[in-house]
Amino acid sequence: MSIEEKNWEPKIIGFCCNWCSYAGADLAGVNRFSYPANIRVLRVPCSGRVNPQFILRAFQRGADAVLVSG
Amino acid sequence: MVAAAQHPHIKLMTFAEVLKVDGYVGNFEITVKQKARYVDHEKCTGCGTCWEKCPSRTSSEYNLGLGDRKSIYVSFPQAVPNKPVIDRDSCRYLNGGKCGVCSKVCPAGAIDYQQEDQLVKFSAGAIIMATGYDLFPWEEAYGEYGYGRYPDVITGLQFERMSNASGPTGGRILRPSDGREPQNVVFIKCVGSRDDTKGKSYCSRTCCMYTAKHAHQVLEKIPGSRAFVFYMDVRTPGKAYEEFYQRSVREGAQYIRGRVAKIYQSGDKLMVKGADTLLGMPVELEADLVVLATAMTPSRGYGEIARVVGFSTDKDGFFQEAHPKLRPMETNTAGVFLAGACQGPRDIPDTVAQASGAAMKVCALLSKERLETEPMISSVNRSLCSGCLECARVCPYKAIEEDSVSERAGGKTIRRRVASVNTGLCQGCGCCTVACRPGAINLLGFTNEQLLAEVDALCL
Amino acid sequence: MNRTGVFVCWCGSNIGAVVDVPRVAEAAAGFTGVVLATHYKYMCSEPGQDTIIQAVREHRLDRVVVASCSPRLHEGTFRKTLARAGLNPYMLEMANIREQCSWVHRQEKDKATEKAIDLVRRAVAKTGLASPLTAASIPVTRRALVIGGGIAGLQAALDIADAGHEVVLVERESTIGGKMAMLDKTFPTLDCSA
Repeated sequence: MSIEEKNWEPKIIGFCCNWCSYAGADLAGVNRFSYPANIRVLRVPCSGRVNPQFILRAFQRGADAVLVSG
Repeated sequence: MVAAAQHPHIKLMTFAEVLKVDGYVGNFEITVKQKARYVDHEKCTGCGTCWEKCPSRTSSEYNLGLGDRKSIYVSFPQAVPNKPVIDRDSCRYLNGGKCGVCSKVCPAGAIDYQQEDQLVKFSAGAIIMATGYDLFPWEEAYGEYGYGRYPDVITGLQFERMSNASGPTGGRILRPSDGREPQNVVFIKCVGSRDDTKGKSYCSRTCCMYTAKHAHQVLEKIPGSRAFVFYMDVRTPGKAYEEFYQRSVREGAQYIRGRVAKIYQSGDKLMVKGADTLLGMPVELEADLVVLATAMTPSRGYGEIARVVGFSTDKDGFFQEAHPKLRPMETNTAGVFLAGACQGPRDIPDTVAQASGAAMKVCALLSKERLETEPMISSVNRSLCSGCLECARVCPYKAIEEDSVSERAGGKTIRRRVASVNTGLCQGCGCCTVACRPGAINLLGFTNEQLLAEVDALCL
Repeated sequence: MNRTGVFVCWCGSNIGAVVDVPRVAEAAAGFTGVVLATHYKYMCSEPGQDTIIQAVREHRLDRVVVASCSPRLHEGTFRKTLARAGLNPYMLEMANIREQCSWVHRQEKDKATEKAIDLVRRAVAKTGLASPLTAASIPVTRRALVIGGGIAGLQAALDIADAGHEVVLVERESTIGGKMAMLDKTFPTLDCSA
């Protein structure tokens, strides 16, 4: 699929630290913010838990972007 | 104070500082520096001969510069412990001089100029931080109040020392400049509090009430006196607080809503210029004494002790609670609790309530013989571990130790180095798993296999 | 073969008004290892938790996925539910379809439902590889350190000591009492502070 195609939607995988950005993502919900539904978040106990292998695996399986946050 | 000193389960370590805290909840290893007092408190009877005879005088910190003390001293007459220490900065003998009078007059032979700082080590299961507060250094910020140039502009705490019966003036409210009783006393609230430009953004919570008390004390102790209070708002949220404030108004305290723009000396008076924002008029008052309600700030050295014990502080340096509403007595470090103004400005009833709450949390912890640990921690597969200990180098909690295993190889028994996880220290962050090349260390509950399966499931 | 149960929560209208909850449960029923997928108004309520306990017994479930609010809120609650059902509490995984889905994608209901299905698939995959965990224990030194000998430290030390535990109170000044002892009478009762 090319980026010019009208209906293209990126698939984003997020690795979020339980203690900060995962909690922040929860807070966004509590405050009823709204953002596009393209991101799928994985909870990790620390951004230091994210092995580069996980990121490569996400790209291999078709993710368009990976967000590591912590 | 006496109750704590006499309690059989309490060991008091005064003139001492916590230097190091190792370990974890249930098993902290503490190192405390006992500073040299130059007085053997085992022998000292507290008779007071030494401080009567000591010829060296210096300004008393305890009385905030409003009085003197000797170089060998107790801070105040009812002090606990009621035994003196020698101030090494002002003592003549310790500064190479000759004096030595205290040693000669001491009937118990308790003076020991050779005493040195000592390190004391012990273990503890829980820690309560109760380091309190200090006052905002208004002299550095408020030029309009004279940067501390005028002796008769004092802080609320100095006022307390004066009105305290065992303080430097024996409980009389006097002008520091000439020792006369003031007639017109002006109080200024929110000095450093609620002032983003010069001070702190927060409200210090206690000043409205103690200023009402100070006004009451002036009117009570000095016949014919007048008390003026400049305020931004009057905040009295507490049981019997509003009534107390109303009482000081009824007694004659005059509340003026507005800020003071300038204080200057005029003869032996202080001229106070401000605005009454309710009347929309400038105000000028002739004052004999000005009392500033200065903001509460974290106790000096707050950053250092937070680092040593291992928890975080907020934007103003107050100790960070785990949750502002639901866990106000806990820090994010397990086993470390908060009591009193070190967490944020508060008054005595709130402090006592929080201290008892923190004590309850500690009792709950200490009532157990053993503590359950979080099972989602790292685990080493010893047969895969190469013993490189890269995991130990990246571990932020120093939770990985060196260990060894015995193995039969080639007909011989050999010992092989492996990593071992301390289950008490491991916080389950999983940094070690990323550093491990042979893949021998894994995080239970967040294993490599699980995380890869999650990635696959989300990318489907 | 795993025997996973999936329980999708409506959270009243919090989830149910945005995400098509029955469709999520229907999709979950097709995931590998899932033997039961159902939904209920409030999973965390007592009847909700009883639904889980009964299902564990009836369907011999060995792991559970709860799709509801953030695990930061109710993971503890549902771990206890699993323990009551006789399962290891760590055989639970939650899918956060409220804070990180229905509440933030209210304008895109279809996409929110698709995302919820993905999040449940993730949870099913993760719990599929879970193994029972047990808490270890460490000894407790029954002594408290109190840093600071003002009113806060003294009150805390006395309370702990009265409960029978040892306390070491460390004060950097030469005497205890802190700022409190410097004060004269204290509001609002005007009693002395010594």
